[in-house]
Amino acid sequence: MDSMTQVPTPPPLVGRSPETARTYAPRLNLGRAFLYLVLIAGAVVAILPFFWMVSASFMTLGETINKAWLPAQLQFGNYVQAWQQAKFYHYFWNSVITTAITCVGLLFTSILAAYAFARIQFWGRDILFALLLSTLMIPETVTLIPNYLMIRGAIIPLPGGTWMNTPWALTVPFMASAFSIFLLRQFFAQIPNELYDAARIDGAGHLRFLVQIVLPLSRAAVMTVLIFAFIGAWNAFVWPLLVTTKEDWRTLMVGLWNFVGEAGPETQLLMAGSVITIIPILILYFIAQKEFTEGIATTGLKG
Amino acid sequence: MRAKGKPSVQKTVVTQGLTRGQRIKEALMGYFFIFPAFLIITLFGFFPIGYSIYMSLINWRTVKGDFNNGGNYTRALGDWKFVAVFVLGCLLLALAYFIWVRAWRSLNNFKLVGGLLVALALIAAGFAISSGWGGMFASGDAKFLKSLPITVFYAIGTVPFQLLFGLVLAYILFQKIRGKELFRMIYFLPYITPVVATAVVFRTLFSPRETSLANQMLTLLGQPVQKWLFEPRAFVNAFFGLPAEGLTGGPSMALTAIILFGIWSFVGYNVVVFLAGLGNIPKEVYEAAEIDGANSWQLFRYVTIPMISPVTFYLGVIAFIGTLKAFNHLYVMRTPAALGTADTAALTIFDTFYVQNNYGYAAAQAIILFVIIALLTYAQNKLFSEQVFYG
Repeated sequence: MDSMTQVPTPPPLVGRSPETARTYAPRLNLGRAFLYLVLIAGAVVAILPFFWMVSASFMTLGETINKAWLPAQLQFGNYVQAWQQAKFYHYFWNSVITTAITCVGLLFTSILAAYAFARIQFWGRDILFALLLSTLMIPETVTLIPNYLMIRGAIIPLPGGTWMNTPWALTVPFMASAFSIFLLRQFFAQIPNELYDAARIDGAGHLRFLVQIVLPLSRAAVMTVLIFAFIGAWNAFVWPLLVTTKEDWRTLMVGLWNFVGEAGPETQLLMAGSVITIIPILILYFIAQKEFTEGIATTGLKG
Repeated sequence: MRAKGKPSVQKTVVTQGLTRGQRIKEALMGYFFIFPAFLIITLFGFFPIGYSIYMSLINWRTVKGDFNNGGNYTRALGDWKFVAVFVLGCLLLALAYFIWVRAWRSLNNFKLVGGLLVALALIAAGFAISSGWGGMFASGDAKFLKSLPITVFYAIGTVPFQLLFGLVLAYILFQKIRGKELFRMIYFLPYITPVVATAVVFRTLFSPRETSLANQMLTLLGQPVQKWLFEPRAFVNAFFGLPAEGLTGGPSMALTAIILFGIWSFVGYNVVVFLAGLGNIPKEVYEAAEIDGANSWQLFRYVTIPMISPVTFYLGVIAFIGTLKAFNHLYVMRTPAALGTADTAALTIFDTFYVQNNYGYAAAQAIILFVIIALLTYAQNKLFSEQVFYG
């Protein structure tokens, strides 16, 4: 990315750190205060709904109706009520379990397939790869209806009759993704051949080479794929809404959506529920912030 | 991050020095490795496409029925004759554009004739489109047909603004700014949080109560309060009091609120991608322009905008397709009081499928939407790719 910026440059006008010295940006003559004002205004708009969400989740009913900005006293009881009476504990664990299964399955199938596409020679490989990429263009609206009927067991017989209200319905369809395979393949293909030759001389086959050499070298790419898989599975809404008609395996998003109807005017409970749904994503985001933004910036992925 | 490099496939595979038997073993290994992924993608990716087309041709209302001669399609779009007239109008529009581009590039003496032809084609196109649409509307499924312009309103309302805000914020952030990482992190937050959770918040922010945040803002600005998500009237009517009704008035107030929510959700994504794009512009170009005496606005207008145009184009196409398919944002935000004025095509299809249990018909609607998305993407490529500067 930085190959074009290697030419010797005059010293930067403002910053002195090596980080700012490498990137060059034209100076704006507008007052810098104005620039900060725009940035801060943007940040306020971006963060205000979150602030309000958290603030309201600690309020009493009366305070939410009067649209107070801050609760007079923190009402932790709202969280207890949402967690226990509104069964968020149940939905939460359902989401954790299905997200975990989906991520593990997705990584398993994607790593194997990406390795094969990058490093194993077999007949029809390029055609199969092109075919795989073509699935990226299909809108979900088209595949949603047949997939739903398939899960119900109305198209082909499934093991167990129907997969409605089972964890299989929530996980199996998402255990492979063309995009993950594509991303990992690009990465695996860059690993030098000499490493494979050396591994082969030592008697290692493809599987061992993959596990012991390729994967440790590709940690960044695997992390990116894992993060996207996690967000996709955790935030999934339409599909869980369709396939969970009972509470058994209902996920957090569907639970929250149903709660919109049940909570009625009790905004503070609804907000407590919303905070519960976003906390895992926020934790992951703060831990892996760099992978998040860089993964998006380099792949341009729309989640 | 190196994931974007262009590895050459041939070099990375070691096949020389292998015997025939080893090669077969190698190939079997390859199939074995891709099998799990392909099994799932075939079942839940390839198969449903074919099956959708099959479903769209049969009666399937809760119980599977027989072929109905494309009845699902005529039911959605109306009489084929009107559809043909409408398509003819669209083709004339494309023809007008084609002539206009040619006239623009050719010698002066062609311009007059070209201009006349364009005007003629435009008049004919307008006539064909309006009469075709009117006929379709009278003979087809009004709810489905109405949802198409609503979808376009949603796309046009969100995409340009999210690109504009994204570029402006990214460009400022690209200056030497303190707390750059913090700003980027905050802007990105709305994009990664679950839509259902943020939509629940926006439902209360845009509630019709006088004390809702949106209404407090309006009161602060000295404007009358609005019913926001519960307001089926057109935005220009409800806000400016202009006499506009129905679809000709543009997006409804309810849809406008959802558009604001959509912009809020997606600006951060654009900021991150634009920032990466800005980092790739070689600084020599800026330096050359500065030596030529360009001021900061000129640098932005004549260096940044053309140099960033591939990114803008990419983001534009992705966002446009995304909004045409958008479901979650709208589904969670819609209210019965909006009288269906915020029901985009994806929502209408979902209702046909899930509420009315009319699977065959819903599949036909989904395929119509898919074809429209494909055509519009193609048109967008044709229209804008000429303005993209690839260096």
